[in-house]
Amino acid sequence: MTASLSVIAERLGKSEVFQSLPEKDLLEIAEFCHEDVYQDGQEVFVEGEPANQMLVVERGKLAIEKKIQLGRHSTPRNATIAYINPNQIAGFSTLTQPQLHSATVVAIEPTRVCVIDGIQLRKYLADHPDAGYQVINAITNLVRGRYQSATSTLTYFLSIVSHELRTPLAAVENYLQTILGGFAGELNPKQERMLNRCVIRVTDLSALISDVVDLARMRPEQIQADFEWFDPGEVGRESIEDTRLAAAEKNIQIRIQPPPEFKPIVGSRRRMRQVFTNLLNNAIKFAPEDSIVLFKAWYEKDKLIFLVEDSGPGIPPEDLGFIFTDFFRASNVGDSPGAGLGLSIAKKIMDAHHGDILVENLIDEDGNPSGSRFSVHIPLNLSTPEMRRREWLPDK
Amino acid sequence: MNENPSILIVDDDPDILDGILLILESQNYHLRSARDGIQCLALLKEEVPDLLILDLLMPRMDGWGVIREVRSDSRYADMPIMILTTVIEDASRRRYELETGHSMDIQAYIEKPAKPDHLLSMVEELTRRKK
Repeated sequence: MTASLSVIAERLGKSEVFQSLPEKDLLEIAEFCHEDVYQDGQEVFVEGEPANQMLVVERGKLAIEKKIQLGRHSTPRNATIAYINPNQIAGFSTLTQPQLHSATVVAIEPTRVCVIDGIQLRKYLADHPDAGYQVINAITNLVRGRYQSATSTLTYFLSIVSHELRTPLAAVENYLQTILGGFAGELNPKQERMLNRCVIRVTDLSALISDVVDLARMRPEQIQADFEWFDPGEVGRESIEDTRLAAAEKNIQIRIQPPPEFKPIVGSRRRMRQVFTNLLNNAIKFAPEDSIVLFKAWYEKDKLIFLVEDSGPGIPPEDLGFIFTDFFRASNVGDSPGAGLGLSIAKKIMDAHHGDILVENLIDEDGNPSGSRFSVHIPLNLSTPEMRRREWLPDK
Repeated sequence: MNENPSILIVDDDPDILDGILLILESQNYHLRSARDGIQCLALLKEEVPDLLILDLLMPRMDGWGVIREVRSDSRYADMPIMILTTVIEDASRRRYELETGHSMDIQAYIEKPAKPDHLLSMVEELTRRKK
């Protein structure tokens, strides 16, 4: 049994696309509608297939999905890019050339829909330009909304991309480690040296993928959502631990000058560790062997300052303005590895903290370059998401 | 009865599985492997291992699904779980908490690629508890 014309017309009138149409149009469109039910998990539309129906959800929920597959060997994954709730529509492609579905739609709970015949709808709207204009206007708004939600979809895509890129690398690294560990037989020194080089190059590539993905994902509001109270001294110690091996390789000593006492601050703990680690790694990379890298912190009235100082060649003055730019590598870095993302990631993190990251070259008494000094300024008045929520509550 | 500690390794990537098995074969372990969560649960039913080494992102049923199933079943209450994955620990713990409302009850978390020595020492530590 199907609902009467007037009931269907009323339902159409509640939908996002048809709500501005007069009853007369709704009743006529209702003539080529029927109701249908989809079960949980059932495919409603398939991407690329002819779009001859538009649906209005009455009850339940649909998901719009795009299939992502990178390379031949990865498992294809469906990324949900939006949900369709009651009174929203699916299948606007029926009104746009080439009338093929632009995404797959799947029911994610038992869903009752009103199905509009696309061919008859196209004809009706062509014959009734006023109604046609209203509907196209509504669909344009809807597409604009979906376009905006594409930003969050991008984040999701990136997490899949990074996983798909890292998976084969992990397999290669795993084999390399297995062979180097002697689990597949003995190696001669030449083979061992080459395999060790392979490990270094693969590790670099893996770090590069992380950086690229991280950079694309790094939006201030995402970083701010992670704000919490933490002990900055503890995070500093963790960063020193992160860079211990790199420092040991060049026999570099990290000299620490903490304030008399570390007090908890608000910020993104994980991101702040990334900033310190990036700065320390950067300093270690450019500091000469057997030298000292200074890592110092102190409180000022309204901020906490961390400083990292090395005795490397410094940064060419003409490059100073660009070192926080994505993919920028100073002209004097030579063969030092890296994609030039560490400092721009640090800058983005500090921007999200409404703080600063500054750089200056050090000059010795004879006027020669004697290193570079990076400082990170963290404001002490930041709020956690919980604190921000409370600020919005009315006073009791 | 096999006296060597038994380990079930679950990973959808045949090359990773191959490498891990090669490393673990150097010691006296009784090894079995599965390629997804469903297969893993079937093998667990046959015999409860002394350690489950589990990847997270897998087809059919992922590792979080396996943890959820296993941790709600008293037969596996004492079975230690080691996660071996490319997913960073923070992100995967948060995801599990969001989905289940519980914290992830696992005994070790190793991010791929695992260093053979580290893997072996963790495996030894976790299987020793059972002996």
